[in-house]
Amino acid sequence: MRRVQSSDACGRVWVFGDYRNYFKNRVTLQLIARAKDLAGKLDTGVTVLLLGERVHQWAMEYVAHGADTVVVVDLPALKDYRAETYSGIMSQLVELYRPEIILGGATRFGRELFPRLAKRLDTGLSSDCVDLEIDPSDRGLVQITPAFGGELLAEIVCPNRRPQMATVHPGTFKELPHDASAVGCILYPELEIIPDERVEKIRSRPERDRETRLEDAPLVIVGGRGMGSKDQFETLFELADLLGAEVGATLPAIQAGWAAPDRLIGQTGRIVKPKLLISIGTSGALQYTAGIRGAETIIAINRDPKASIFRMADLGIVGDGRTIVGLLLEELRKRF
Amino acid sequence: MKVKQSLVSAHHNYLVNNRVIPGFVMGDPGSKGDFYFLADFVLPGETTPRCSGRLFDEQGELLVEINWNRLGENPGNCVYRPVRGGFQVVSGAGEVLVAVRTQQFTNGYLTRLQGRAYDRSGSLRMETDGDNVRVDEDELAPLAGPYLEPFSGAARPADAS
Repeated sequence: MRRVQSSDACGRVWVFGDYRNYFKNRVTLQLIARAKDLAGKLDTGVTVLLLGERVHQWAMEYVAHGADTVVVVDLPALKDYRAETYSGIMSQLVELYRPEIILGGATRFGRELFPRLAKRLDTGLSSDCVDLEIDPSDRGLVQITPAFGGELLAEIVCPNRRPQMATVHPGTFKELPHDASAVGCILYPELEIIPDERVEKIRSRPERDRETRLEDAPLVIVGGRGMGSKDQFETLFELADLLGAEVGATLPAIQAGWAAPDRLIGQTGRIVKPKLLISIGTSGALQYTAGIRGAETIIAINRDPKASIFRMADLGIVGDGRTIVGLLLEELRKRF
Repeated sequence: MKVKQSLVSAHHNYLVNNRVIPGFVMGDPGSKGDFYFLADFVLPGETTPRCSGRLFDEQGELLVEINWNRLGENPGNCVYRPVRGGFQVVSGAGEVLVAVRTQQFTNGYLTRLQGRAYDRSGSLRMETDGDNVRVDEDELAPLAGPYLEPFSGAARPADAS
């Protein structure tokens, strides 16, 4: 059974508990796993923040996946998420416990909450990180994120402000296995809640879940600008059906309207880790390749033999993606 | 700012004073005739909470002893009543002394306790508060593992679930 932290210690590497997206992505569990690594290098523990109403089951889940401490604010007033209220509570908690690092998912939720919180705390925030490290020289957080339009990977540090804040894409890190024997510490601070009276909830309606399961797919086909048109891009869906794959798209293909925005792969989209990724008509911009670094095997198809995608491909085919997809479909249709 | 602190188990917890706790004891389970209540730690692989206690009425008269979810000495003619997800112990007058109900999540269990119990001096020690039970914080001794201290009742049984 894991040791429980000392009673007066609240781990100084924090993760925001985004339980509302638990069944869509498991980014909080993935961040806890990475936070464990970072906390180990800082000789501290991992604390998860849990705000809402009747959230106890999530405290248990986070402890099972590696959290040492869970800070719970469980109130009826927090049943519905409101950015101002949540960021106000979090800033009070930061004032109380003085964490070194706060991590959150680069989800729509995190993208709204974290910039507000960073502003309140007067500190920096690195969004859409693809990796996190501790600099052994000063024990600061190195936040690795694509920059300048994805042309390079920047290592960002925040030497003069605390906490150091970062958001990370779902699928970037691997979660720890569930440990039913784990026991953690749970803290219930009694906070002053100032409700955001500018917003009145009239009714709510759950959004239809139209997202694909790209993060979990063992085979992913990604189409880029080289597919040439929406009709040609559509052939990737037929190819995916025949192969049992999911379809992703690069930013130019999304901007051209050839695929839905939720299929975007890369820095500002989804991070995938398939066993096999087939990249068709993609040049290999860093913005895109930041999202496919975890693929076990990459096959790249591009007309330009100098395309940078070939530098990270295991197998490269120099040719027109549209022609090669056509040939593949012709062959596969005979078999199915 | 006031901060309350507790332990939390990944597998099973009780909800007491609106907070989760893996197990707790009130009073002395080793005593021969005094009030106690024990909500024991549930180990991974077990799915049933284990409650024991010696409960009195407002006049300090013994009503019933509970040994690991089963009735023992029962001068108050109390009744054990299975309900969905748990059980109740109801006094001869029809009052619910203890209600134990366990909810299963994807990966764990949460048990809600309700009821009203007095000690030998007729002091109220436990009462329902919404969907859980309220007790005096100073009386609550949390457990981070199965209760192993001297116990006046039967030995802890193997998991019956």
